[in-house]
Amino acid sequence: MKVDKPSAPIRVMLVDDHCERAQLVEDGLLSAGFEVISVITSAAGLLFQIEQHRPDVVIIDLQSPDRDVLESLAIVNQHNPTAMVMFGQEDDPDYIRHAVSAGISTYLTDGINPTRVRPIIEVAMAQFRSFQGLREELDTARAQLQSRSLVEKAKSLLMKQKNLNENEAHQLLTKLAMDNNQRLGDVAHTVVTTLSAFETRK
Amino acid sequence: MPASSRLAPPEIDNISVGYMRLTDAAPLILAKEAGLFKRYGLDVTLCREVSWANLRDKLVVGLLDAAQLLAPLPMTTALGAGGMRGQLLSGLALGLNGNAITLSNRLWHSFSDEGKSRLTPLARAQQLKALLKETAEPITLATVHAFSMHTFLLRLWLQAGGIDIDKDIHLIVLPPEQMCDSLARGVIDGFCVGEPWSTVAVEQGIGSVVASGYEIWNNAPEKVLGVTQQWHDAHPATHLRLRLAIMEACQLLQSADQRKAIAMTMSQAEYLNLPSRYILPSLTGSYRYTKGGDAVSVPDFHVFWKYQAGFPWRSQAQWILTQTSKMLGKDICAEQAQSLIQQCWRPDLYREAARLLDAPCPSRDYKPENTHEHEWLMDNSIELGADKLIQSTEG
Repeated sequence: MKVDKPSAPIRVMLVDDHCERAQLVEDGLLSAGFEVISVITSAAGLLFQIEQHRPDVVIIDLQSPDRDVLESLAIVNQHNPTAMVMFGQEDDPDYIRHAVSAGISTYLTDGINPTRVRPIIEVAMAQFRSFQGLREELDTARAQLQSRSLVEKAKSLLMKQKNLNENEAHQLLTKLAMDNNQRLGDVAHTVVTTLSAFETRK
Repeated sequence: MPASSRLAPPEIDNISVGYMRLTDAAPLILAKEAGLFKRYGLDVTLCREVSWANLRDKLVVGLLDAAQLLAPLPMTTALGAGGMRGQLLSGLALGLNGNAITLSNRLWHSFSDEGKSRLTPLARAQQLKALLKETAEPITLATVHAFSMHTFLLRLWLQAGGIDIDKDIHLIVLPPEQMCDSLARGVIDGFCVGEPWSTVAVEQGIGSVVASGYEIWNNAPEKVLGVTQQWHDAHPATHLRLRLAIMEACQLLQSADQRKAIAMTMSQAEYLNLPSRYILPSLTGSYRYTKGGDAVSVPDFHVFWKYQAGFPWRSQAQWILTQTSKMLGKDICAEQAQSLIQQCWRPDLYREAARLLDAPCPSRDYKPENTHEHEWLMDNSIELGADKLIQSTEG
C-alpha cells in the first residue's frame, strides 16, 4: 500500500446525472479543500475517463446503472493501479448504511487510506441530503402555486356562472372544503373540472 | 397453498423486494400481480433497481428485504469482491437459462451464409476465431457484471471456438440498457445479456444472436432470490412465505397462456417499460436470432419450475466459485470454498418449502453436469433437464 503524501490533495471524480446536485457536491468538496478533477454527467465513456484522469476516489450516484461498470474495474483490471474498493477495508455497517440511504456510493483506489476519504464522503452525503431537501421544498412550493391558481380559476368560474362576487365565491369554496373535509386546492380542482365541462357544453 | 395452520405467522408482513428490468423477473412480478404474496399474508413492494451493485448494497444495508440476484453474487459478496461485503444466502433459484450472445451486424455479415443460417453456436464461435485470425484485431464484448453467468457463458462459448480471450477479446461491463445503443454506435462488437435485450437488438436491426444461453450450457443456473443471513435469522417465517409465493408463481409460469399474459403485464411502464413484442419471444420459446429470420423453437429459453429449476444445487455453486476464483486470480482453499457454499446456497430451505407445496424435490445437494443430453431421472423419481456444456474445440 502506498503512503499518501499529506501535501497531495485527494483527487476526486464525480459521476452524477443531476447537474444541480453535482454542482452542489462539487462546491462542497472544493470548499472543504479537495481537488475535484472531473465531473461527468453520464458514464458514457466512463472507462476512458477513469483511464485518463486516474482519480483516487470516484463518487457516484447510487441510482446510476454504471456502478456495475465501475466495479468491474476493480475485478478485471487487476494490473491497473486504479483498482477500486467501496469504502476501502473499513466495513462500518452504520456508516455505509447512511451513505447508501443518502444515495451515494464511493469507490477508492487501493492505495488510499479509507479514514482520509471519510470526510469526502461526509461532504458528499451532506450535499446529497441538502439537495433532497431543496427538491422537496421546490415540490411543495410548486404544489402551493398550483393550488392557488386553481382556487383563483374556480372562483372566477363560480363568479361567472353563479353570479357571485369574489367574496361569496371564496366563502362557497371554503364551505365546500369544510363540508367535504377536503383541502381547498382539491375542492377547487373538482369545481374547475365540473364547471369547465359545463362551460364547453354550453 | 398449504393450510395456513401449517405455517408460522410472518415476523414482518410489509417487505420490499428488488429486481432488475429483465424478463426473468417474471416470477416476482407474477407473484405480485396474481396476488400470491397477498395470499401468503405478505404486502410486497417490488422495487426496480438499475444495477446489480445497487441491489446488493441495498440488500446488505437493509433497505431491501430480498432481491433478485445474479447467481454468483451471494458468494462474491461474502468474499467482498469488487464492492460491499456481506453475508447473503439463497434458498431458491429464480429460473434456468435466459441469456443470449449477440454480435454486431458487421461481424454477422462477415460470417459465411452457412454460418448465418444453419451452423451451430460452436461453428459460429469457430468462424469468429477464423475472422479474428484474419483481421488480427481484438474485438470488444460486453457483459452486465464481472461475476455473472453472462460472463461465464460468454467465456465458455469463446473458448469452445478456440479463441484466446486474453489476446483477442477486450471484455468490458455495461448496463443492460446501454448494450443496444453501444452496439449500434460501434463502441462494442457484441454482448452476452439477459432477455429482453438481445431481442431488442435483433428487432431494432442492430445485431444478431449467435447463441442462446441454453445452447452453451443446457439448463444453467441464472438468478437466485437473495436475502442476508441476518434477515433470514430474524424472519424465517416471512422468508418461507416469500419463497412459497414465488414458487407458486414459477409453477404457474409453466403455462404458455400465463407466459403470454405476464409479458403484457411486464411491458407496463412500472416494470420493463418495453413493448411486449420484445418480451414475448424468449418467454414463448419462439425466438428470432436475426431480424426477419425464421423464429426458432427454443422451448427451454427460460425454465422456471420443471427440472427442479428452483433448487440451489451446491455442485453449481462449486462451479461458479471455481470460475470466480479464476477471474479474481486467487485460489480459494477447499475449506473456505466449502464453508462459503454451505453458507450461501441453502437447498435445505428449498426442501422446507417444497414439502409444504407437496412438490417432489431432490434429496442430494450435488448433481453431475455435462453428462446428460436429454431429460433424465435422478434416483428414479426426480426429473431433471439436460446438462451438457458446449464442447470445446480442443476437446
